[in-house]
Amino acid sequence: MTTTDPTRTDLGFTDPDPRRTGPLDRIPGLLLPIVSVLLAFAIGGILIWLQGVNPFYAYWVLFSNALGSSEGLVRVMEKSTPLILTGLAVTVGLRAGLFNIGAQGQLLVAAVGAAWAGYAFTVPAIIHLPMAIAFGMLCGAAWASIAGVLRAYRSVSEVITTIMLNSIAIALVDYLASRPLREPDQPLSRTPPIAETAALPQFGVIPSGFILAILVALFFGWFLVRTTSGFRFNTVGLNPNAARYAGISVRGTIVLAMFVSGALAGMGGAIETLGVTGRFEPAFNAGLGFDGITIALLARANPIAAIPAALLVGTLRAGAATLQFETGIEPEVVDVILAITLLLVAAPIVARLLFRKRNIKQTKVTSGWGS
Amino acid sequence: MHRKLLAAGFVAAALVLAGCSSSSDEAATDATAAASEAPAEEAPAEEAPAEEAPAEAAPALTTDDSNCAAPESFCIGLVTDTGKVDDKSFNQSAWEGAQEAANVTGGFAKYIETTDPKDYLNNIGQFTAKGYDVIVTVGFLMGEASIEAAKANPTTNFVGVDQFQGEAIPNLTGLVFPEDKAGYAAGYLAGLMTKTNKLGAVLGTDTVPPVKLFGEGYKAGVLAANPEAEVTIVYHEPNNAFNDPEWGAAEAKKQLAQGADIIFGAGGNTGNGALIEIAKAPGAGESIFCIGVDTDQFFTVPQAQKCLLTSAEKKLVQGTSDLVIAAKEGAFPGGNFFGNTGLAPYHNTEAVVPDDVKSQVDAVIAGLADGSIETGVTLG
Repeated sequence: MTTTDPTRTDLGFTDPDPRRTGPLDRIPGLLLPIVSVLLAFAIGGILIWLQGVNPFYAYWVLFSNALGSSEGLVRVMEKSTPLILTGLAVTVGLRAGLFNIGAQGQLLVAAVGAAWAGYAFTVPAIIHLPMAIAFGMLCGAAWASIAGVLRAYRSVSEVITTIMLNSIAIALVDYLASRPLREPDQPLSRTPPIAETAALPQFGVIPSGFILAILVALFFGWFLVRTTSGFRFNTVGLNPNAARYAGISVRGTIVLAMFVSGALAGMGGAIETLGVTGRFEPAFNAGLGFDGITIALLARANPIAAIPAALLVGTLRAGAATLQFETGIEPEVVDVILAITLLLVAAPIVARLLFRKRNIKQTKVTSGWGS
Repeated sequence: MHRKLLAAGFVAAALVLAGCSSSSDEAATDATAAASEAPAEEAPAEEAPAEEAPAEAAPALTTDDSNCAAPESFCIGLVTDTGKVDDKSFNQSAWEGAQEAANVTGGFAKYIETTDPKDYLNNIGQFTAKGYDVIVTVGFLMGEASIEAAKANPTTNFVGVDQFQGEAIPNLTGLVFPEDKAGYAAGYLAGLMTKTNKLGAVLGTDTVPPVKLFGEGYKAGVLAANPEAEVTIVYHEPNNAFNDPEWGAAEAKKQLAQGADIIFGAGGNTGNGALIEIAKAPGAGESIFCIGVDTDQFFTVPQAQKCLLTSAEKKLVQGTSDLVIAAKEGAFPGGNFFGNTGLAPYHNTEAVVPDDVKSQVDAVIAGLADGSIETGVTLG
C-alpha cells in the first residue's frame, strides 16, 4: 500500500483505493468542491460587504454581465477555453501521480510557437490551421518532456523542475518576442499577426477553440477510464511498484504523461494565439496555467468536471471589470475567491499527505527496516 | 458530520448576515434616490422660467453615471494599463488629472483597473456603453485599443496618455511629452550643480524614442549650462531594457568611480536601480546626486530620496486634466497634444541647491515652454 519511492507523493487523484477508509475518503466526490466554492463565495461576500457593497448585488453584476449578453458569453467561452485545457493538463499529470506546476510555461512556449507557425508560412487554411495548432502542442509537449524525462530517469521532482521551467519559459518567450520573432518597425515586443489561414474560425458566436476544448475534455474522460493507456496512467499514479510488477513501463508512462500534459497546455496556448489574440505578446497569457491548477483540483482530477470548473473561473475573470465598473470593488476580489477555493479543495489533500507520512513512519518503526 | 454541519451553518450565517446588511443598504439608497428625485418631479408643475434659472447660475453637477448620454451631464472614464490607480506612476497621475478635470467641470469620474491586456477593448466598452463623454486610456500599450475604440465611437472623445498618434483621428488625442525638454532642464540643473565637471546618465534602450530624447536632451542641457562638462551616457541593450536594476546599479557604480557626481537614471526599473545605488554612495545628498524621471521619484522610489536632486517630469496630471476640460468645452484637439514638462520639487536637496541656480533653471524651463529656448535635439 505504501509507496517506497521517497520522492513520490500520493496526491489522492488516482482511482479510489477500496482500502482507504479515512474520514476524508468518505466525502462524496462532488460535495467537497461545491462546499469549497460556496464557502469561498461566502467569505468573498463578507469582504465585499465590508467595503460597503451589497454582496448579492455584486455577485449578480459579476455573473449577469458575463452570462447575460452574447458578447459576455463569447468572452466567457474565450476565457474558459485555455483554462479547460490547462486544467486537463494538470489533471492528466495528477492521474499519473505527477504534479505539473508548469502548465504556464508550456502554454507560453506553445503560444509563441503557434504564433510563429501562424505567420511564417503561406499555405491553405486546411493545412495551415491544423499545422499551427499541432506545432504549438508539440512545443508545449517538448517543454514538459524535459521535466518528464528528468523525473523518469533521474528521479528529479517534477514539481521543482516544472516551476523552474516556467521561469525559463518566461525569459525565452520574452527574448523570442523582442528579438528574432519581433514584428519589425514598431516599438512593441510582439510577433507579427498570424495569417488569416491560421486563424481559428467562429461558428456563429461560438469560438471554435471552445468547442475543440470541450471535445478534448470529453475525449480524456473516455481515455482515462476506458483505454489501456489510461489504465496505465492510473496504475502508475496509484502504485508504481505494482505497476512495474504488472509489467507496465513506469518510466515510459511518466514520460508519456508529461508529454500529453504539456501538449494539452500547449493546445491552450495555441488556441489563445490563433483564436483570440492573433499574435504573441508576452503580456498576454498571464496566469492561465496557474488557474489550471485550481481547476484540476476543483474538478478532483476528473477531465469532464474540468469543464464546469473552467467555466466558473472564466466567468469570474470575464465579469471582474464590470464588477469594478458597477460597484467599485477591485477586480482582485476574483483572485481572492479563487485562492480561498483552492485552499479549501487542497486542504484535504494536504491532510491526506500528512496521514500518509505518519503511516510510513509507523511501518518503518515496527518492521525495523529503517536505519 | 459535525464539520459538514458547521460549514453549512457558516455559509448560511454569512448569507443571512450579508442579506440583512444589503437590504438596509438598498433601502437607504432608495430613500436618497427618492429624495433627490422629488424636487425634479415637482419642477415641471411650477412655471417654466424657474427651470432655466439654476442652469445659468452654476454648471450642472454630474454625481453619477446614470445619465451620461444626456447633454448636460459630463462623465469621464479611465482605463488603466494593467496597473492600479495608486501605482505612483502614469496610472495614478492620469487618474488625478481626471479627478481634477471632474472637479473643474462639475463632472463625474470613474475608473476600471485592467487585469488582463486582452480586456482593454472590453473595459473601454463598459464606458462607451454607458454614454461616457471622455475616456482616458493610460499608457503606450493601450494605443491600438484606443484607436479601435475611437473609430468605433466617433461621438466619444478619447485621451490616450503617452500614445503618439501617427494618423490624426478627430476624437482621439494622444497626450505626449517633449522628453528632450524635460531632459534638457534636468541637464541644465546638473551642469550648474556639478563640482567634478563629470556627469553621468544610466538609461533604458535608445531604440525607444522617448528614452533617447531624454538622454540627448540631458546632454544638450548640461553642455548649455556648462560647456566644459563631460557627459557619459550609457544605454541598456534593447532586450529587458526597463527591468534590469542590477545592470543600472552596476553602471551607476562605474560612473561614480569615474568621478561623476550627478547621474540621471531613466528607464523603468533599470533607471531606478541606478538611483538606489547612488543613494548608497558616500556623500549622497551632499556632493553626490541623482536625477529621476517621468514622475516625482521622491515618492515612487523612496530608497533614492537621499540622493534625489529632482526628477525630469512629464506633467501628466495637468496634461490629462487640460485635455478632458478641452473636451468639455468643445475644443478637443485630436491628433497629438504636447503636455508640459518640468522638474519635480527639490525636496531634501532644497537647501543644497543655491537660489541663483534655482532661478536660472526656472528661467530655462520657462524658455523651453514658450519656445525661446530650443534643445536642438532631433532623432535621426
